[in-house]
Amino acid sequence: MAFRLDIGQYYPARSPIHELDARVKLCCALALLVALFCLTTPAQLVAGAAIAAALPALARVPAGRVLVSVRPLVVFLAFLSLFNLIFVQTGSPLIALGPLTITSGGAWAAVLYAVRFALALVVGSLILLTTTPTQLADAFDRMLSPLSHVGLPGHEIAMVFSLMMRFVPTLADEASAIIDAQSLRGGAFDEGGPVRRVRAVVPVVVALLASGLRHADGLSRALDARCYEGGAGRTHLHEPRLGWREAAAVAATAALVALLALLGALG
Amino acid sequence: MTLAAENTRPVAAASSGVSDEPSPEAPVRLSHVVLVYEGGVRALDDVSLSVARGERLCVLGANGSGKSTLASVICGLLAPDEGSVELVGERVCVSGTPDLEAYRRARRRLGLVFQNPDDQIVTSVVEDDVAFGPENLGLPRQEIAARVARELHRVALDDYVHADPTRLSGGQKQRVAIAGALALEPAVLVLDEPGSLLDVRGRSAILRVMGRLAKAGTTLVHVTHFMDEALEADRVIVMDHGRVALEGTPEEVFSHKDAIRDLGLEVPFALRLSERLGLRPTCSEDDVVRQLCATQSTSSRTSRPAMQAPGATREPGSRQGASAEAPVVSVEHVSFSYGPRTRALNDVSLALEPGTSTAVIGQTGSGKSTLLRLLCTLEAPDEGRVLLTGRDVSTRAGRRAARAEVGYVMQHPERQLFAETVEKDVGFGPHNLRLPADEVSRRVTEALELVGLAEKRDASPFKLSGGQRRLCALAGVLAMKPHVLVLDEPTAGLDPRGRAMLRRVLSRLREQGITLVQVTHSMEDAARADRVVVLNKSRVVAEGTPREVFSRGSEGRLASAGLGVPRSLRVARTLEDRGFAPLGEPVTTDELVAAIEAHSAKAGLGRDESARSNRHEGT
Repeated sequence: MAFRLDIGQYYPARSPIHELDARVKLCCALALLVALFCLTTPAQLVAGAAIAAALPALARVPAGRVLVSVRPLVVFLAFLSLFNLIFVQTGSPLIALGPLTITSGGAWAAVLYAVRFALALVVGSLILLTTTPTQLADAFDRMLSPLSHVGLPGHEIAMVFSLMMRFVPTLADEASAIIDAQSLRGGAFDEGGPVRRVRAVVPVVVALLASGLRHADGLSRALDARCYEGGAGRTHLHEPRLGWREAAAVAATAALVALLALLGALG
Repeated sequence: MTLAAENTRPVAAASSGVSDEPSPEAPVRLSHVVLVYEGGVRALDDVSLSVARGERLCVLGANGSGKSTLASVICGLLAPDEGSVELVGERVCVSGTPDLEAYRRARRRLGLVFQNPDDQIVTSVVEDDVAFGPENLGLPRQEIAARVARELHRVALDDYVHADPTRLSGGQKQRVAIAGALALEPAVLVLDEPGSLLDVRGRSAILRVMGRLAKAGTTLVHVTHFMDEALEADRVIVMDHGRVALEGTPEEVFSHKDAIRDLGLEVPFALRLSERLGLRPTCSEDDVVRQLCATQSTSSRTSRPAMQAPGATREPGSRQGASAEAPVVSVEHVSFSYGPRTRALNDVSLALEPGTSTAVIGQTGSGKSTLLRLLCTLEAPDEGRVLLTGRDVSTRAGRRAARAEVGYVMQHPERQLFAETVEKDVGFGPHNLRLPADEVSRRVTEALELVGLAEKRDASPFKLSGGQRRLCALAGVLAMKPHVLVLDEPTAGLDPRGRAMLRRVLSRLREQGITLVQVTHSMEDAARADRVVVLNKSRVVAEGTPREVFSRGSEGRLASAGLGVPRSLRVARTLEDRGFAPLGEPVTTDELVAAIEAHSAKAGLGRDESARSNRHEGT
């Protein structure tokens, strides 16, 4: 179809990262994300970039797939950089263009925040690329199970999240079909002023909502028919096992975080 | 698995106060079931039914006849308002009072597969999806793994264990759904129109799986729109307005042919054919052939019918020689690809004359839908060019101008309806063209009259029947007054009445001089078109009149493209193969009947010459 959403689509492969227990994977990723957001020195950035470059190879996910899932946020990152460049006024002035002064601090912030974000996105998208919605749901389920003890629907939240991931491509295909059909009937998506364009989106949203409701209807029928009654009493085809692989992952993550911290201390 | 059922049996019997034990021989028993939807629609109206263990029951009925509701009641997803239901030995509903615990237990032994495969798949790995049901049952890991392997093997998807279901074809997805239902080891498997959104290949694969299940003794309840699928059943019931209108073996049910037609259904092809030929009525195509061979006299075997097979198919790309008019659509050496690797279309050339109808056939993935997208200006070719009424559509300006000429009816266009009334939905296009209000209204009236929905103008499009919803979507395209109408599988998923309505509208449009292009999976629909284009692996492999394309000479080419021939032609060829005189190339039922009648008229003249007929033992 004309427009495809590739964010967060599972990429089937056999790799140490795919086979990692999803809970451990999530926790390691979280630790790594925190570490990446604390990067401040150039040496740390280089090390962080090396880690982010090595991970897709380890996960046997083509770099192209990772980049595709990062792409939609590139515009956001560009804006972020631009704002930093213009508004951060620390350090020595580099260029002065009329009222605009670009400082060394601004330039460094522009690079730093963009790279931090980009690295974090790579790690985040790898989680989705290497973990199926069911695995994610089960992982969240176990991690959120304390919530169930205090009366919050931990398992259900996890299930809803995983079904959402599952239906993203289906609804994206339908949205593109609706847009095609309506633009052939004179729907103005790429012409006219902003008001006209926004107004043109309304029928698309209505049609998409109707189709979302239809899917919800079908899905609830399917869940009932397959005896889904919430998390209690469910068993698992892939029994989560915490073994040497998970231990190794935790150790490797700890080492990487320590390395980044060390580089920061040295710089 | 049986544990739950056994434990509760005494409780159920005590609570109902009925002495007879729930019989395990009939896993489904409905008595005087009434189910009323909001707004007072009686979806089921005093239905009594029992399904025996190992039985294959087929449920037929037009849209809105209550057959899907019946399927939901049978698989324990809907409780009736009145009447009693007993499922797999559980009295789940007694005189309109549901026992929710009993329902829960019963559901664990019932399986359901329904229309839309996308809605039934809950995760991104085939294996995990099949495991979902057994996981919910709380089975041990080894047992789940064993069931997953067994069921995936049963539906012939062993090679797709780790595949992503969203990337499979519709038929494969539906087989995943069947495996997922079977992994529950259901006592009854309910299939609610499992093939209605699939292509012919997908549907026949599902039927093969069902045949294997029936042979293995699985109790099947199969709801369908396709009459020919009912022939395999042990018993057929026909629903109408929530009631069981007809019931019996397939032969018995279809023998009420007038009633069947009044209920908005059709009789199977073989039965229709045997009737028109004045043979003993039969539902089996093979029996028709045998009867015809039996009536054949030896003398006639040498006679030749008037109709002769025409020459071989024209080579792809060649134009029709004697065309006086300039083509309204011409596709010249067009190639197109979505990504860097594979080509969706490769050097495709076509020319469509004004006012003709063209059918595009080919397997899923052959490039049919891409061709349609190019024809209606949604894509521009990478190489070559597409001309619509003389305008080149590779430029943005050309596309915009050409959009006024072409209408595109996508697959399942009714899913795109959005307005609160039919009038507003149909008027969406003219309104966007900023036509004056009276012109918009005039166009809406015209379009609605064309499709026969004039009296539904103020209704909500969501309240229409399936066939009417599709016609409403079609009217929305017609209100743009296109000269060329491009349709992607216009009859897919409709019941016989809806299919017939749509075919009538299409032939009316042709009479009005609109050029029609449709992608179809039905060879019978293709045979009704003026021209047929066969796509295989991104290329045009055959093009011509139906008779040329389906000729004996190009059978191999069709087979390699994964396609068959219209059933009339299939019958004619089977007859020839069994020694019946050649019948030419009858691509429609009318032509087949005419050819056979012409032949028997001749045979009648020469009958006295041959005393020894009936060499093939018929009857």
